[in-house]
Amino acid sequence: MKVPQVSLIDYGVGNLWSVVSAIKYLGAKVDLVSDPNKIASSSVLLLPGIGSFRKGMEDLKNTGIDKAIIHAVKDNNAKILGICLGMQLMGSYGTEDGGAEGLGLVPNKVERFDISEIDGNKIPHVGFNVVDFSERQGLFKDFTDSSDFYFTHSYRMLVEGISGRYATCIYGKEFLAAFQINNIYGTLFHPEKSQTNGLLLLRNFLQD
Amino acid sequence: MLKKRVIFTLLYDNGSFMLSRNFRLQKVGNLEWLKKNYNFSKLSFSIDELVLLDVTRTNKDHQKFLSHVRALSEVCFIPIAAGGGVRDIELAHRLINNGADKIVINSLVGKNMGTIDNIVAELGSQCVLASVDVKKVKNDYKVFTENGTVEQSYTVQEWLQKLAEVPVGEVYLNSIDRDGTGQGYQKELVEFIPDDFQLPIILSGGAGKYQHFINGLEDKKVDAVATAHLFNFIGNSLEDSRTALLNNGFNLAKWDVDICESIKDCFSVSENNQNE
Repeated sequence: MKVPQVSLIDYGVGNLWSVVSAIKYLGAKVDLVSDPNKIASSSVLLLPGIGSFRKGMEDLKNTGIDKAIIHAVKDNNAKILGICLGMQLMGSYGTEDGGAEGLGLVPNKVERFDISEIDGNKIPHVGFNVVDFSERQGLFKDFTDSSDFYFTHSYRMLVEGISGRYATCIYGKEFLAAFQINNIYGTLFHPEKSQTNGLLLLRNFLQD
Repeated sequence: MLKKRVIFTLLYDNGSFMLSRNFRLQKVGNLEWLKKNYNFSKLSFSIDELVLLDVTRTNKDHQKFLSHVRALSEVCFIPIAAGGGVRDIELAHRLINNGADKIVINSLVGKNMGTIDNIVAELGSQCVLASVDVKKVKNDYKVFTENGTVEQSYTVQEWLQKLAEVPVGEVYLNSIDRDGTGQGYQKELVEFIPDDFQLPIILSGGAGKYQHFINGLEDKKVDAVATAHLFNFIGNSLEDSRTALLNNGFNLAKWDVDICESIKDCFSVSENNQNE
């Protein structure tokens, strides 16, 4: 098997070092890329992100990275993993900070936790929490029934509408923790901050 | 349900990692030592979170500390909180850009609330951890700032009330009296936490064995326990402590530490072995 070459999309949001380190830990290669042409021709993409949905989409659009991603994923069948805000941006629409259209790689909307449905829990949802898998294949290969991952977020997608493998977490109410639909992968948690569980999941993404 | 946490704190002083006893510092080793001799990367697989504090007393070299934050963020796969001397948003940003997930503030509380507001506005409250150093003075538990050198007029109880109004994400409650002693946490401090206190509490200062972790975590008000002692939990002791906590029914996150070796370099190895 060839050593995977990951293009980590750098669109100016925050701390990419942990993601880079996690990929390197697995022995794969990783480049930071911000040139849309390079992104469009990459076969393995990673879309990280922290901050607000609207700002994130603006940054992707202003740089032309949004179109490059769509081209790589839809036309070239590149695989892509969105992490945290990166996964949210894959949705159809995000309500945060005034609202914005997303990349539309998955049909789900991204909305803030509703205080009335989270059972007295606090927003944001920060810390390790339990994730359950629809099946233990592909992105979720080699996991036991429930596994712990590190979250830090206030917005989430619901599971309905996801037509592939998925993982869920309960914070008062169930929400979508991760998914894999063909070549499109997302995790709302941070695999690069989730110890060996996260490293195993990243391995699965690269190996799949 | 969110998990409780075991946190390891590294105290940094101008290029060295330190042992602290009642806030008196003793040099132990540098980054190279920490990575090679201390095997920090392995140890980090037994904790939930890392706190990095620049406790350099005079002429802090921020750039040098930032390079250590980055180097450590490259060898552990957990959230990192970093601070020590954060006085403005600029240093907060630099910490985040060098691998920190959260910022630790201490002396800023009560001194420059506007700066805290700015940091929170840009990074979010979940990214800001307020550390509180407490020492018993006569019959009161008083708050000290500036590396424990400046006594505030507030008791810990009053300080916590103050923090409840500040938009920080969590509180790191540290006992100067117990710091580095290994005699166990100062549980009296927990009694001062108001029942309706909303912020997660990290209890620190005095842990010497896993029973102390238990003693801390069994309190409902305590969300996490920390140790900054470089030698109280060496070898497999932290991993064993974690196992003991799990066996005692504490709700900690679980992962398989042993696979850290087998998945390391799994892709570069596969190139040579043609297999997996």
